[in-house]
Amino acid sequence: MAESASIHATFSRPRWLTAPVAAGALIVLFWAGVALTVQWWPIDDPVAFVGKRLAAPSETHWLGTDALSRDVLSRTLHGAQHSLPIALVVILSAVAIGATLGAIGGFLGGLADSAVMRLVDITLSFPPILLAMAVTASLGPGLWHAAIAMIIVWWPIYARLMRAQVLAVREREHVEAAVAAGASAPRTLFAHILPLCWSPILINATMDFGQVVLLIASLSFIGLGASPPTPEWGQMISEGAQKFYQWWIAFGPGMAILSVVLGFNFLGDGVRDILDPRTQ
Amino acid sequence: MKKGMMNTVRSRGAATATRRALLLAAPVLAGLAGASGFLPTSAQAADTPLVIARAMDINSLDPARTWCDTCQIYVSNVYEGLIGLGPDNKTLVPRLATKWESNADQTQFTFHLDPTAVFSDGSPVEAKDVKWSWERLHNIKGGPSFMMDGVKSIEAPDAHTVVVTMDAPNSEFLGILTAPYTGAINSDVAIANGANANADADKSDTSEAWFMANSAGSGPYVLADYKADDELRFKANPNYKGTKVGISEVVIKNTKDAVAQAQLLESGGADIAMQIDPDTAKTIKSDSVAIETVPSYNFVYVAVSPGAKGNTVKLTKEVRQAIGYALDYNGTVEFTVAGQGKLQSAPIPNGFPGTDGLPTPTQDIAKAKELLEKAGLGNGFEINAEFPNMNVYGVDLSLLMQKVQQDLAKVNIKVGLTPLEFSVWRTHVRGDGIPLTAVFYAPDYFGSAQYIQYFAMTEGTPWWKRAGGANDASITNAKEGDLLKQALAAPEAEKDKFFHDIAMEMINDRVIIPLVSPNVVLAHAKSVKGVRYSACCNLPLDEITRE
Amino acid sequence: MYRYIIRRLIAMPLLLLGIVSIAFLITHFTKGDPLISIIGERQMDNPIVIAAAKARWGLDRSLPEQYLIYVGNLLTGDLGTSLRTKQGVGLDLLQRLPATLELVVAAMLVGSLIGVTLGVAAAHYRDRAADHFARLFALIGSSLPVFWSGLILLFIFWYTLGVLPGPGRLDTRSMAPPYVTGFYTIDSLVAGDLRIFAESISHLILPACVLGWAVMGIISRLVRASMLDVLNQDYILAARAKGASEPRVLVNHALRNALIPTLTIVGFSFAYLITGAVLSEAIFSWPGMGSYAVDAARNLDYPAIMGVTIVGGAAFLLTNLVTDIAYAFVDPRIRFG
Repeated sequence: MAESASIHATFSRPRWLTAPVAAGALIVLFWAGVALTVQWWPIDDPVAFVGKRLAAPSETHWLGTDALSRDVLSRTLHGAQHSLPIALVVILSAVAIGATLGAIGGFLGGLADSAVMRLVDITLSFPPILLAMAVTASLGPGLWHAAIAMIIVWWPIYARLMRAQVLAVREREHVEAAVAAGASAPRTLFAHILPLCWSPILINATMDFGQVVLLIASLSFIGLGASPPTPEWGQMISEGAQKFYQWWIAFGPGMAILSVVLGFNFLGDGVRDILDPRTQ
Repeated sequence: MKKGMMNTVRSRGAATATRRALLLAAPVLAGLAGASGFLPTSAQAADTPLVIARAMDINSLDPARTWCDTCQIYVSNVYEGLIGLGPDNKTLVPRLATKWESNADQTQFTFHLDPTAVFSDGSPVEAKDVKWSWERLHNIKGGPSFMMDGVKSIEAPDAHTVVVTMDAPNSEFLGILTAPYTGAINSDVAIANGANANADADKSDTSEAWFMANSAGSGPYVLADYKADDELRFKANPNYKGTKVGISEVVIKNTKDAVAQAQLLESGGADIAMQIDPDTAKTIKSDSVAIETVPSYNFVYVAVSPGAKGNTVKLTKEVRQAIGYALDYNGTVEFTVAGQGKLQSAPIPNGFPGTDGLPTPTQDIAKAKELLEKAGLGNGFEINAEFPNMNVYGVDLSLLMQKVQQDLAKVNIKVGLTPLEFSVWRTHVRGDGIPLTAVFYAPDYFGSAQYIQYFAMTEGTPWWKRAGGANDASITNAKEGDLLKQALAAPEAEKDKFFHDIAMEMINDRVIIPLVSPNVVLAHAKSVKGVRYSACCNLPLDEITRE
Repeated sequence: MYRYIIRRLIAMPLLLLGIVSIAFLITHFTKGDPLISIIGERQMDNPIVIAAAKARWGLDRSLPEQYLIYVGNLLTGDLGTSLRTKQGVGLDLLQRLPATLELVVAAMLVGSLIGVTLGVAAAHYRDRAADHFARLFALIGSSLPVFWSGLILLFIFWYTLGVLPGPGRLDTRSMAPPYVTGFYTIDSLVAGDLRIFAESISHLILPACVLGWAVMGIISRLVRASMLDVLNQDYILAARAKGASEPRVLVNHALRNALIPTLTIVGFSFAYLITGAVLSEAIFSWPGMGSYAVDAARNLDYPAIMGVTIVGGAAFLLTNLVTDIAYAFVDPRIRFG
């Protein structure tokens, strides 16, 4: 009781660690683990013919086999090694480019701001999927070309977000005070404004991760993306759509995408709760 | 503190309000959903439109510019030709021409037109219309223009006689006329709407837009309405002098994938579904649907191009033959069309002249390895395969190439796969060439010369160019050209022998390796009769009736 | 503020020109070749046929020349002829844009109505079972690949249960109403054809729900957050203290104020819906702009690509403007320099 209080300190659950956030973190950790280690798992080779074609789920093949007798579960798990690293690269690049341009525009204002906003407007005026399609058609097929297309599509969102934040924070009293006290422009930007701007970016990036995975799958679904026999989720669903009555072929990748997107969404909620004390 | 007060003041009002709203909404939604079901749908009377579900790939409705499978259905039923192809897909039957003669050395053909034939506007079909249509076909320089290649002159000595003189013997010309693109167009009406048959028609003819909305043929049907990517509607030609058709209105509905077509068929939304693959066909359970599988003349093949820039090793004849021995033909038919297909030895479809007695393709891994050893490639090599990302005649080219990749891996040949959009593939295959690719072919008419003119390794043929024949003399097989000339000059009874010999040469060349001839799945409502597959025209509509 | 709006409106045509130019550059530098869809595979090696096709479609001219001709025609309202359908691009768009708009509007209605309801319920039953269920439901919608959920729902509701009709805007055996707006719902009412009206609505339900489910997530999330914000305010407490019933409090006082920031979501949802339309129009055999865009990109149908870009671009610019103005209203501290 009282004498063991110091040893058995009660675990006080942080406010933000709710069940969904924990679930999200677990899902994300699971898929990250899969993406990093699946090549060593004792499961079927995702490109080998391993049994009867179009076999329903059974004990030997938990998600059955597809039209080329490949194990669907194994292909689903290996798909993580293609979708997730690409999504990471896309998000990091889009944030880097977008945040930089947005901060410059928001802080400097005037011509720089107009230039950035016009660039943002032009890029955002393309229906994203069409822009991605046009870029990929121009560069040729392949997952990395699709990644470039997606970076081009995604950066304006972060530019705008950063710019809005910089504009709002720029007017705050402590910034006016710093300027009055003689802080130089770079110092004002980096030391006083930017530190307050990151939370929406971080929140958005976490939640966008799932959306990027979705867009990769969408591009692959319409035929721009990984080449066969790479087990990419969107491409697997497109194969599954042709063999519609063999529902398991599309089920594995569909559930994979769903769980990844949900996981990052929940995680993003948690991140928001940590960073943004306003939401109660 | 504020929170506490909120809790005590909270009432259940909100919950009941929401519940009430939902209860009201549900029956309204359900009512609307069921409305179209409860309201009387069109009864299956004999005069309701025949709905055909297929992926519409229409690139034009002008007979001289069009080139696609759906176009064949439209053109053959709207623009009647001189000669038709009988139900056995071999025999020539009279259409606009009641009889015809060819001279002894196959250089001149005379056609006698039916004097009672009329166009859809009632005006008579005359020799001048046939002459005009064929000259226009050549001069528009569109997709089907090659059908009038080798024609020296077309004469119309009287209103019902057409005489065609060829540059060189061409016994295939009669077969060519079964192709829908050679149909007769009502020249007066077309000319009034901007068409012409002059030598510069490709620049001066402005009628394509008119042809997209109107038709001017003598066939059993006329164009009623065309909505691109949506539907193509035709109705019976009231002035048609032939046998009255059983269906007065036909609609081709754009349905892109096989599963949707199958579902429409089962639910009664479609009467005929044209592109259902064997796997999907197995899942159709409805009693009111009839499914027949018949062999087709379409085939899917891989092509090995020694002259392609991307080759890592020299693809000599031995290497190509090794590739031919390494492929698992039976397994490919199993994988791609669930066994619903046939093997084919040469790039000439089974059943066409010259294909009797050709050796069946067999897999022989030992022989393949031996040939590779002899060529110094016992450790294998790498080869890049680019191919169109398409699903044709039930065969998914992606799946096909993955099987090929697996097969060739057994003899240490590492195949890299790159699927491409058709338009991109076309640039590659024509430009730098592609070491290994997969593509499909469907007959334009019943006759073997078309295959030799496309696939043989004689100077000038498309595949000779793509395989690199211009730069590599070892690819050219002059015998094939000589044999073809003899075949075209030979009388009917002796043609087959020449084509057989050419086929054997092409098999040995091993540049074109046919993998599968997919069967055609004819899926239609049981109440619809007379549905059949035609080698020239895809689907003849005039034999279809509904009970 | 008004000066800002006017400036933006004046900039629009220039922006559109910029967009079209970029689309022109991107598509013309590809390695593909649109001629194959015009000529067909059989003759694509025949130099005579290729030359004739190139001359006819103006593809034999230099790139700058092609660009100037295109822009010149554009200024007179001529969008060119589609290489694939052989019809005027303007006509193609006129036929297809209403189909997509009808779908997008219906999806927006479904998504907003249910999204707002879910958001309100979630805020009201905060942290209880209903809250979690509502949020999960909405979230799943925006996490599902639209092309997968479309297939599944079609299978369940059309094929298995038979309670909703299948793909297409109308039954395969029905004819479309005469063209007034291109919206089958409106046109059938104008023509007085109630059967087609009911049919067009019933065919809209499934695709609208699939797409609406996708945007429900964003909308309900934002409504919930705003509602929670607003419910904490003093004027809510005052209303309750004065004895207002809970529904009245929620709707008249809270929801009204919570909806203002929700307007900003219009811009984002529109983007989602257009993407969703592109992906699901094929599954539902919906002949709209989405499938037209995919076909155009696939076949390198230059005039069509540019036509779609202009229309899509104009729509986006307008919604962006609305979003930016809404942001300004929400946070008056933002100035537009």
